[in-house]
Amino acid sequence: MLGEFEYVLMTVAAGLGESAYGAAIREEIEKVAGRRCSIGALYTTIERLEKKGLLKTWMGEATAQRGGRAKRMVRVTPKGMHAAKEFYEAMMRVSHKASWATGKSERAS
Amino acid sequence: MSSLAERATIFLAPKDRDAVLGDLAETGTNGWSALRSVLGLVVWQQMEPWRAWQPWVAGSVALAGSLLLLGVSFGLSMDSRHLLRGERGYGSVVCEALLMLSWAWTSGFAVGSLSGKTRWVNGILCAIPCLSCVLRFQDTSLSRLCVLLFLVPGLVGVVQGVRRARLSHRTALMLAIVMTALMLVWGGMYMRNWFLFLPAWWLVAHAERPGLSNEKAAA
Repeated sequence: MLGEFEYVLMTVAAGLGESAYGAAIREEIEKVAGRRCSIGALYTTIERLEKKGLLKTWMGEATAQRGGRAKRMVRVTPKGMHAAKEFYEAMMRVSHKASWATGKSERAS
Repeated sequence: MSSLAERATIFLAPKDRDAVLGDLAETGTNGWSALRSVLGLVVWQQMEPWRAWQPWVAGSVALAGSLLLLGVSFGLSMDSRHLLRGERGYGSVVCEALLMLSWAWTSGFAVGSLSGKTRWVNGILCAIPCLSCVLRFQDTSLSRLCVLLFLVPGLVGVVQGVRRARLSHRTALMLAIVMTALMLVWGGMYMRNWFLFLPAWWLVAHAERPGLSNEKAAA
């Protein structure tokens, strides 16, 4: 099963589609998930997910904005989509009675 | 872009350098912040292999194996001296030497195959008891380097373990059986020596089996 950060990264990469690469994924995670994402955590997780066959990466174009350096493009593989879907469904299953999922206010014990 | 951050990327894999420096340029990160990001990635990459169990076992074998093999090397040196004085037979010393070579090689192979990525840590774990023993060595009739006899076969084992990862099942089994037979002939059945067989039998358990490989390929 995926880890929480692995799931976040894959979901953001899938959402970015063809424009998913290191800096864009990092920016999106910080914006959407509201958490700081270090370059170390990002690239180590990308590397790990690629080894598991859940992501595919390749070197993309170099731009002047990047000082002429190439981007590391990221794409979620079909196996990765399956793993992310499993994680999502498992989270939905375990959450279905929780007050934050049902919308009912929690009683004080 | 900080030149310090650029210099720090020498610790990264070549494919990561461009991507990381480009990301830092794109987000306008420079100076100490850029350096901290690059060094952070270096630390993450070094820590990553330790999420698995293999580096922990490899480190334990490197430390415990070198501690035990220091004693075996010293024992072999003493027995070789006794042989030269005619106080020992050839057979016993040859058995002891072959066992020392095979124990060191199999331990090295197991360490290399389990975790080539943490080889520097394993090297340090092996070097600490070696240095400590060499510096404290007090027998003036022998060179203090005699305790390091196991290092050469051990290092050869590590290099081959990193390259090959597994032995064929037949080779591993033959090696383990021959080593056990040598032990029985030699007669040194101490608890310490049995521990030194663990890497050899681990290599048997994790050897390549042609039947299983074909089944996996077919699956």
